[in-house]
Amino acid sequence: MSATTAEAEAPRRPGLLARLLRDPAAAGALIFTLLLLAAAALAPWLAPTDPLDNNLALSMQPPGSPGLPLGADAQGRDMVTRMLFGLRASLLMGFSATLAGGVVGVLLGFLAAFYQRWLDGPIMRLMDMMLSFPAILVGLAIAAIFGPGLSSVVLALAIATVPLMARIARGSALVTMRLDYIEAARAIGMTDARLIWRHLAPNCLSAIFVFTTLRFGQVILLGSALSFLGLGAQPPTAELGAMASEGRNFLFFAPHIAVIPCIGIFAIVLAFNLLGDALRDALDPRLRF
Amino acid sequence: MKQLLAAALLAVSAGTALAQPAPRNTLVVLREIDADNYDPPRSTARSAGESIYMMSDTLVSLDWDMKTVKPGLAERWEVSPDGRTYTFHLRRDVTFCDGKPFTARDVVYTMNRWLDPATRSPVRWRAGPVKEIRARDDHTVEYELNEPYGELLYQLSLFFASIVDQATVERLGPNFGVQGFNGTGPYCWVSWTPRQELVLQKHPNYRWGPPIYANPAPQVDRVIWRVVPESQTRLAALQTGQADATQYIPPIAISQLRQMPNVRMSTQENYFWDYFVGFKVDKPVMNDPAVRRAINQAVNRAAIVQAVWFGSAKPADAYLNPNTAGYDAEAAKLVPGYDPEAAKRTLDEAGWRMGPDNVRVKDGQRASFLTYVINTQQSRQVLEAMQADLRRVGIEMKIQMWDATVGWGRLATQEFDAFMMSYPYVTATDGFSLYFDSRNRPTPNRMNWSDPATDRALEQAKVALDPAARMAAIAEAQRLVAAANVWFPVAREQLWVASSMRAEGVRAHGIYGVALYKGLDIRLTR
Repeated sequence: MSATTAEAEAPRRPGLLARLLRDPAAAGALIFTLLLLAAAALAPWLAPTDPLDNNLALSMQPPGSPGLPLGADAQGRDMVTRMLFGLRASLLMGFSATLAGGVVGVLLGFLAAFYQRWLDGPIMRLMDMMLSFPAILVGLAIAAIFGPGLSSVVLALAIATVPLMARIARGSALVTMRLDYIEAARAIGMTDARLIWRHLAPNCLSAIFVFTTLRFGQVILLGSALSFLGLGAQPPTAELGAMASEGRNFLFFAPHIAVIPCIGIFAIVLAFNLLGDALRDALDPRLRF
Repeated sequence: MKQLLAAALLAVSAGTALAQPAPRNTLVVLREIDADNYDPPRSTARSAGESIYMMSDTLVSLDWDMKTVKPGLAERWEVSPDGRTYTFHLRRDVTFCDGKPFTARDVVYTMNRWLDPATRSPVRWRAGPVKEIRARDDHTVEYELNEPYGELLYQLSLFFASIVDQATVERLGPNFGVQGFNGTGPYCWVSWTPRQELVLQKHPNYRWGPPIYANPAPQVDRVIWRVVPESQTRLAALQTGQADATQYIPPIAISQLRQMPNVRMSTQENYFWDYFVGFKVDKPVMNDPAVRRAINQAVNRAAIVQAVWFGSAKPADAYLNPNTAGYDAEAAKLVPGYDPEAAKRTLDEAGWRMGPDNVRVKDGQRASFLTYVINTQQSRQVLEAMQADLRRVGIEMKIQMWDATVGWGRLATQEFDAFMMSYPYVTATDGFSLYFDSRNRPTPNRMNWSDPATDRALEQAKVALDPAARMAAIAEAQRLVAAANVWFPVAREQLWVASSMRAEGVRAHGIYGVALYKGLDIRLTR
């Protein structure tokens, strides 16, 4: 009982948000990320038109046409609507892949670090093997087995994320494991599961959190690449990579169809990278001032 | 302004496209993909046909109207009264690329090799119900059939029936058409670098070209068939004189190319390369003729074809091109026109009621079907537009796009309800026998259309001795299929060839989708 009380009162660093907002780039990235998330979440209400409804008469209308601030795609669908829903699909894809790959990877990393004698070798060699496969190749293989689709892309990205997460988790867990309070918790007879959950995990979290943010941007980029190759979202689903892929055929004739989704991907990835960097700085005790 | 921008962009990208201007007296032809091999009976790729027509000859040739059979290696032929024996009288002045004279024995060898199961030709059926092929003398071949086959001459004009040299085939074995070739064509094999280029050089003695050309002999010293996968790069290379001809032009560029002063364009009205969506008629939802009819009524074919092909294809309001031999105008009238209100009525009358999610339901079955397609720009755009049109009448169309590497395998399964494809054909009987004969299930009859009346009509269309009876039979087959709405015919592609200003006499032919055919009238001015 007393152990639980002690944990509840464990010191927490105050003012993370304040420290983040002090850096203009970080503040900008944070605000922009929140705006993106809000736009994606509210897409069905924000979108001016039905994302699936086409009007071939408006096919490839350039940006600035009446009622079409960003123009229309080859099917004559409003690009504003397509972008909102594309953003939603891309973020959802990135989020689920990072979450799934992250949970599995972190778990494996902790197990490898905690049961170093028996599990470290097998798990980490497996992770090394997984790292040797490029994510695009994994995506191609999965699409060939299960058929192309957003779920195949999520699976491929999650698989590609697992070994990276496992390495980060194992690394920080190994450092934490040598600290005295872990030894102390062991000494009072705490079970392994509880030790990992209550002491190990919270103290490795900042490194994992920073890496997750950075990885999220990469996952979006990789997912867009897979979609661009036709392995991802199937028509009529809007997804940024698939939209760019569709538009590349008209690059010389209606550049906006490909360029606008590419700008979208660029902005998301940049925002998450800046945010990740800022978080790392803010969470790193050595950089505190 | 927009055109200027496009032209400027094309010019900029040309700088890095290809290394050098096309060499003197060498015709550089660009294409999108290479062939798997260049052995006539062993490849069905259009890219194989493009080069094989130049490297070899067929017994008969096909005129620009795509209906009239003209002499080729055979200067004349007779058909026996029972329609079972064709006697071909061969030209006497023909030699192979290696100088060996061409005789009836070469024809017999080529045909027997095509028919030999060991050759594993995917198009063996095209040779017909052969009983025996024999050389009566050095310059006469008798082609004897078990039953009449009215399609024979058309089939023998296709590149699969190109005459090859026995000694070279036996020397190269499975590498014939990979490491070398020996035919009687206007151009001879020099070298092949797969996925890059195939180089041919002029056959010096050749003067037995088909009479459809003004020149019986080739006019150019060398031909290079070069693979350039990106369409924008192909266009740029053509405009800057790094290449001389290509038929692989994105539809969106055609109207612009026609206005450009440094590119010539040639087209062919009698071009039979059609796009269609086929329905598996024995799967749930698809097995209701009313659904298939409603799909045909609900989709605005004309608008889709205009948006996807920009005027370089015509809406296919029938199963076949009206210029095809054997086309039946009555059958064409059975294909429903665009009328979304009628589509809704058709579905209402058949008991399909609107469900809560705007998809119709009948007996607990949602009006939803899964479509497989190989991922190309056109198929994607057509299906997406169809999907939107069908959504408006309460039918859900799901689309699954496959990469070509796995797509053909998937399209041979029974796991989908509909599919989209495009294909070349010569005659009505050719196209319909391919797709609607019950013996051709599961591929290419992916619709699983199994109808004894259609089978009987197709059989009659092939074996009947009287041309009028053959015509009546193929018309019957067209009516049966059209009335059942087994397909949604989409578009008839038009063939366009773009050529550089120095290349004169480039004329689009289009046999089996091949634009240049033998290319005998092509001449380079510098």
